[in-house]
Amino acid sequence: MGEETTKKEEEEFEPKIVGFTCNWCTYAAADLAGTSRKKYPPNSRIIRLMCSARLDPMFVLKALLNGADGVFFSGCHPGECHYIKGNYYARRRIAAIRTILKQLGLDNRFKSYWISASEGEKFANTMKGLTEEIKELGPSPLRGKVL
Amino acid sequence: MKGVELKSGDLEGLFKGLLDKKVVDSLILPHRVGNNVAHMMVTDKDKVEPPVPAIFAPSFSVNAANVVKGWLIKEKIGIVAKPCEIRAAIELIKLKQMDKESVLLISVDCPGAFTNQDYADHAEEIGDWVDSAKIEELKGKGIAIREACEICDKRLADVGDIGIVRRDGDNVVVVGITDMGVEALSAIEDISLEDKDIDRSGEIEKIASEAKKKKDALPEISSVEALEEFLRDCIVCKNCRDMCPVCYCKECFFDQPLGNPVGGDLLNIAELRGAIAVPANQLMYHLTRVYHVSTTCVGCGACEDACPKDIPLTRLYPVITKKVQEIFEYVPGKDVEEPLPFTVYEEEELEDKLR
Repeated sequence: MGEETTKKEEEEFEPKIVGFTCNWCTYAAADLAGTSRKKYPPNSRIIRLMCSARLDPMFVLKALLNGADGVFFSGCHPGECHYIKGNYYARRRIAAIRTILKQLGLDNRFKSYWISASEGEKFANTMKGLTEEIKELGPSPLRGKVL
Repeated sequence: MKGVELKSGDLEGLFKGLLDKKVVDSLILPHRVGNNVAHMMVTDKDKVEPPVPAIFAPSFSVNAANVVKGWLIKEKIGIVAKPCEIRAAIELIKLKQMDKESVLLISVDCPGAFTNQDYADHAEEIGDWVDSAKIEELKGKGIAIREACEICDKRLADVGDIGIVRRDGDNVVVVGITDMGVEALSAIEDISLEDKDIDRSGEIEKIASEAKKKKDALPEISSVEALEEFLRDCIVCKNCRDMCPVCYCKECFFDQPLGNPVGGDLLNIAELRGAIAVPANQLMYHLTRVYHVSTTCVGCGACEDACPKDIPLTRLYPVITKKVQEIFEYVPGKDVEEPLPFTVYEEEELEDKLR
């Protein structure tokens, strides 16, 4: 009985996840996952960027401060950027903002991945894993706060 | 290293010489204003005041680099200032906010400084110079140096083009650190440069270990809730941004409609969330600023001094940005030729910092 209630409570929490993905890889991978009818949880809302380097870390801050339970970023594998080196710059920025978020204990709510256009299955699995992780973390401490 | 040993009184002649020989067209110098010390900009060599009571005085008013931010003209300016101010100037050169060829950076040994209010109130007790024993003694009397200075581990005049090193008693050693600095010193007739071998590694280590101890003792902001509580009194006046030497955007995001919503925009955001704190974007403002200065913050503490609500911002900006600087092994203001971390990359790096 007790077990059932916890399970029910867990089911009730559906995290909101904001994703920033590169047009040339992960966005296409998400498309591929869809057309190949791979199932993955519908918790993420994807925002398409033209390149990893378009990810201004302020986007991440804004999403988190507005109550997103999780944020993820995904771009082309290092070395495979459509614009040659955009993801290298992005990687440095992400490392910096995650260091800041780590200080505030929010780094486990911001993940980043490299997923290429052909990795539809990897995208689906990543989304499954991420949603599970965020569900375990529970709602964001910033959710519903007067900020 | 080329340098010359002088009496501190001779520095007046040195500064006059720099102006006289047109090495620089103007100089930013600390000078006395009653009890206090402020900066002045001199172009006429006859207006150079005797530097002694001001140049080593442990008082921090404004970061001199902030005053000359945007110095993109050909005329050359010399800046005589504390190492943190010089390091900020070096970051501004890298950020293309100052022209490397038109600034001559002269750093002066700093023992740590008091806010200029504290200094003015206790000028007689503090005097023109303090050493670490005196700082402790004054602390016992309730007159403490700024927190930013307590945790500062780079107080020695080893940055910029020229360094003014304080020695025992009245003696100073002026050293040319870069070629530009050596050239500037050679232009002055009364000065004959000799090889000076200054080894201060012992001093550097001592300062660094004391600073680290002080830093570790500071209360840490370790959660969002703690940050909220820390910023409770913030009125988003943005003084910390305006006084920050390395916050340099011509048009700040937080002066624009998205960052500073008014009227209908503000109402829309409130409707979206049901309730928002006003003035809006308090946390967003500070976190964005932490990120924006994450690699360039020199830890001068000007933000804390500028805060009208006395929020100890040193515990936020220099402390958190240092952690970012560590992952890139970058020390802001150390070397003008070293590229800014966000402008370069390695093909294989940082993968453990991403997830």
